Amino acid sequence: MIGQPVDRVDGRIKVTGAAPYAADTKIPGVAYGYLITSTIGKGSVTAMDTDAALASPGVLAVYTPFNPLKLFAYVQEQNDERFPPLQDREVRFFGQAIGFVVAETWEQARDAAGLVTATYQQQPPVTEFPGRTVRKFEEVEEVVGTQDLGDITFTASYTTPFQHHCAMEPHATVATWNGDHLTVYTVSQGALLVQRRLSETLGIDPAKIHVLSPHVGGGFGGKWGNWAQVPLACAAARALGRPVKAVLTREQVFAMAGHRPMTKQTLTMTCTADGKLTSIVNDGVTSRGLGGNWSESVANWTLTTYASPNIRVTKMIVPLNLGAATVMRAPGEANGSFALESAMDELAGQLGIDPVEMRLRNYATLVPNTGKPWSSKHLDECYRIGAEEFGWAKRPKKVRATVDGDWLVGTGMATATYGAGRGQASVKVRLHPDGTASVSGTAADLGTGQYTVFAILAADELGLPVSRVRPELGDSTSPAAANAGGSTSTGTNGPAVQLAAKAVQTELITLAVTNPRSPFHGKDPASVVYRDGSVSSGGVTMSFGTLLTTCDVGGVEAVGTSPRLVDPEHGYRSFGAHFCEVRVHRLTGEPRVTRWLSVCDAGTIVNAKAARSQIQGAVVMGIGQALLEATEVDHATGRFANANLASYLVPVHADIPKIDVRFLDRPDPLVSGLGAKGIGELGIVGVAGAIANAVHHATGVRVRDLPITLDKLL
Amino acid sequence: MRAFDYATASTVDDALKLARPGSAFLAGGTTLVDLMKLDVLTPDRVIDVNSLPLKGIRLHAGGLRIGALERMSDVAAHPVVRAVHPMISKALLLSASGQLRNMASIGGNLMQRTRCDYFRDVTSACNKRRPGSGCPALTGVNRGHAILGTSDSCVATHASDVAVAFVALGAQVVLRGKDGGRTVALEDFYLLPGSTPDRENVLGPGELIAEVVVPVLPWARHSTYLKIRDRQSYEFALTSVAAAVDVKRGVVQDVRLAAGGVGTKPWRLRAVEEALKGGVAVERTFADAAESAVDGARPLAHNAFKTSLLKRSIVRALLDAAGVR
Repeated sequence: MIGQPVDRVDGRIKVTGAAPYAADTKIPGVAYGYLITSTIGKGSVTAMDTDAALASPGVLAVYTPFNPLKLFAYVQEQNDERFPPLQDREVRFFGQAIGFVVAETWEQARDAAGLVTATYQQQPPVTEFPGRTVRKFEEVEEVVGTQDLGDITFTASYTTPFQHHCAMEPHATVATWNGDHLTVYTVSQGALLVQRRLSETLGIDPAKIHVLSPHVGGGFGGKWGNWAQVPLACAAARALGRPVKAVLTREQVFAMAGHRPMTKQTLTMTCTADGKLTSIVNDGVTSRGLGGNWSESVANWTLTTYASPNIRVTKMIVPLNLGAATVMRAPGEANGSFALESAMDELAGQLGIDPVEMRLRNYATLVPNTGKPWSSKHLDECYRIGAEEFGWAKRPKKVRATVDGDWLVGTGMATATYGAGRGQASVKVRLHPDGTASVSGTAADLGTGQYTVFAILAADELGLPVSRVRPELGDSTSPAAANAGGSTSTGTNGPAVQLAAKAVQTELITLAVTNPRSPFHGKDPASVVYRDGSVSSGGVTMSFGTLLTTCDVGGVEAVGTSPRLVDPEHGYRSFGAHFCEVRVHRLTGEPRVTRWLSVCDAGTIVNAKAARSQIQGAVVMGIGQALLEATEVDHATGRFANANLASYLVPVHADIPKIDVRFLDRPDPLVSGLGAKGIGELGIVGVAGAIANAVHHATGVRVRDLPITLDKLL
Repeated sequence: MRAFDYATASTVDDALKLARPGSAFLAGGTTLVDLMKLDVLTPDRVIDVNSLPLKGIRLHAGGLRIGALERMSDVAAHPVVRAVHPMISKALLLSASGQLRNMASIGGNLMQRTRCDYFRDVTSACNKRRPGSGCPALTGVNRGHAILGTSDSCVATHASDVAVAFVALGAQVVLRGKDGGRTVALEDFYLLPGSTPDRENVLGPGELIAEVVVPVLPWARHSTYLKIRDRQSYEFALTSVAAAVDVKRGVVQDVRLAAGGVGTKPWRLRAVEEALKGGVAVERTFADAAESAVDGARPLAHNAFKTSLLKRSIVRALLDAAGVR
């Protein structure tokens, strides 16, 4: 069953609207919270007038830094907010939460929020490079060999703008208390991330916090963190003794719920005349929003991609008056690969070497920065299959060589690689008297297909059809499984599902031989066999449902725990190669992607259908990164100027060609028994580079600043 | 959104009687309700005009008459519109999304407000929204803003596509007010921002659009509406060009051209039209004529490319409309 195309088990309830999302939660007596946000980019709040809001119909409370809900400082530096909301008067960015109105209805809360006035002491915000407060060489990592540096030198700078996740579902939280126990329905990429954060800031035992996040309407990194509405809803519900629901508006999501930072990479590479790299230096600059802690290691992709005796990457961090920068769609790697994959293409062009050949000449058979072997790597096969299937050999060497009507046609390719590994995960499988099995862990399904992965792996191990397995995710009371981030869900949770499904068979056999009502009572457990949902021994076969019913037992269960992979001897990554065709109008310059092929080496594929969707979705996001997505800052105020889905452009269907995806489907022998390395983010890495390379091939114009919009091609 | 009164009217006279300063007419609601949610518009009374008898698409001697309450999608699909002025249909189909076109009325489309992100954000200054408060777009994020018809007070573009096609075709709007009716050329209906960008059109208090009348030009079936944007659907124009051209024996006899996405109102390109007449219908002629499209253009920091893009778009639209390769 593993590797077959399986329909999403949660597909029907999602398309029929039956799947409960956080904002759908209906609790009697719920009150509604609305955030008030700062209208300056830097400074402090000196006064707030809340009288009119408090007198407004239905208003229950107005919390501000002058009348805050107590929240303790965050202990762990996560990639979300650095400071709990309303605890001080400093304004670090435009759109920071400075108040929270709670009222009987959402409209009343919003109306009252509009009546609150704030007085500020204002300072000019810093929102662009170069900030005056650049911290130089925060991090340096380098490998230094002794080889001669060769004759050829190439250097260029590449920039990427701020971007936003733009998940369809806005950030929503509903909190309700029962005595000192808190139940939170919220959006999250991991229920335990919410539990831990709330335990810190509310000052209560995590065991008393029950987090439910069964369905998430897209995350892309933006729901890894907990943003202001989470602690505010919980603390207000406690203070008011009523359930409180808070949903961020789209503009608030843009301002305060995380963004991809702006980056600049300056690559300097040297190589021999036949294209063998002798050194790569990538000086990366990344922004850090002062509302958060996190910054992107944008240059680090250069450490692990191509063989070179000398590699040096640096990272400079520019703090800006913006909300938290956070992880988004292959953080570091999506931007990092744009620069290096563009530079490889430029260098290949300079030397007259085919771009695929250029990459093969610099193929890293060992991990470039450590010299260690890979757990598995079949990237060369990805290049070979991709080139063959795409028809790469027919590609004209010259740029601007193909014209079809009014369209200039070009092709480009790029490498994809993304980190792989395996964390610790625990998963529970329970067999029920009705003949079904449930499989549960705190993991999250953001639309990724994790529910179906749980169902497939449990069904495979138990010998049941997928329809008889019920996956249960997003509940903090389940065993601790992997959060949805870093493309590690399947690689980490999958082996735990398999272990739990094996362990529950042992539990079932133990029941079969020990329960006096069982037809197998008293038999040697070694003589009893579990197969395809039934227990057999001595010619007697009974399904587990019948056995449980016969024994009058409500179920048997077992938890499987798969340990974290610790292997200092190998490097673990997924690999792939992208090939694409781009058309650019000769008069008006619009770049349009018209053909796509991705060939992926991501170890074992669990669900061929969902895996294909994952890569296709990632390529769509990569097309957005390459051609459309950029959040513009109004530097005078520090406001994200296009903080809405009409002005911040994500691709529409018409922008997306047929995306062909091939998987090598070769199990990684070291990552786990399952052999799955993870695929979520792999698909976006290299996409922008491949498109930039194809645009150059079509037009002769090299665009080094994303997004590649038509104004750069006129 | 602020609290407001809601009233319905079933006759034009009733609707006009209900109108008062601070009231707004509601048709499809795709602009009004949006902007009310953002607090950009705060009418204290909303008058639902959807029951008014302002419907119908008819071909009369005077031209193609389109009722102001006809929905964008109905107009786009109407066989008479498609036969007489396919440019109108095309401009509508390149606007908004299917859902919005099903709701939005033709009158409302002509009345839609700019997509300037400073206009739509109430924390920003905006001379259109709060006269005298300033225009941050002049020095801020202005890639999408206008290069033609701008002033030191406002550089916001007019957002409608179909208005560009209407202006190219010399359409008129029939207005109804308490003092009766009047007919105004759509091109003159819109006002340049000057120092009063809050006044966008010639509508008096309580006046409404009843009908659009488009002259019939038999040759204008050779037309196109070209819309250039970053993504291929569901985006406002960076530039758009409505072009109809009458070519006989390879020579341009007559032509109608207007541009969107570049002007503070739908921008008729008369100088280009004049330069084209009598010219040989080849790309070179089109490119030479297009030069005058940007006379008087005032590009800003991020939208200077629009001068080049507009000229190129004109050439492309003319090639399409004339069927020249």
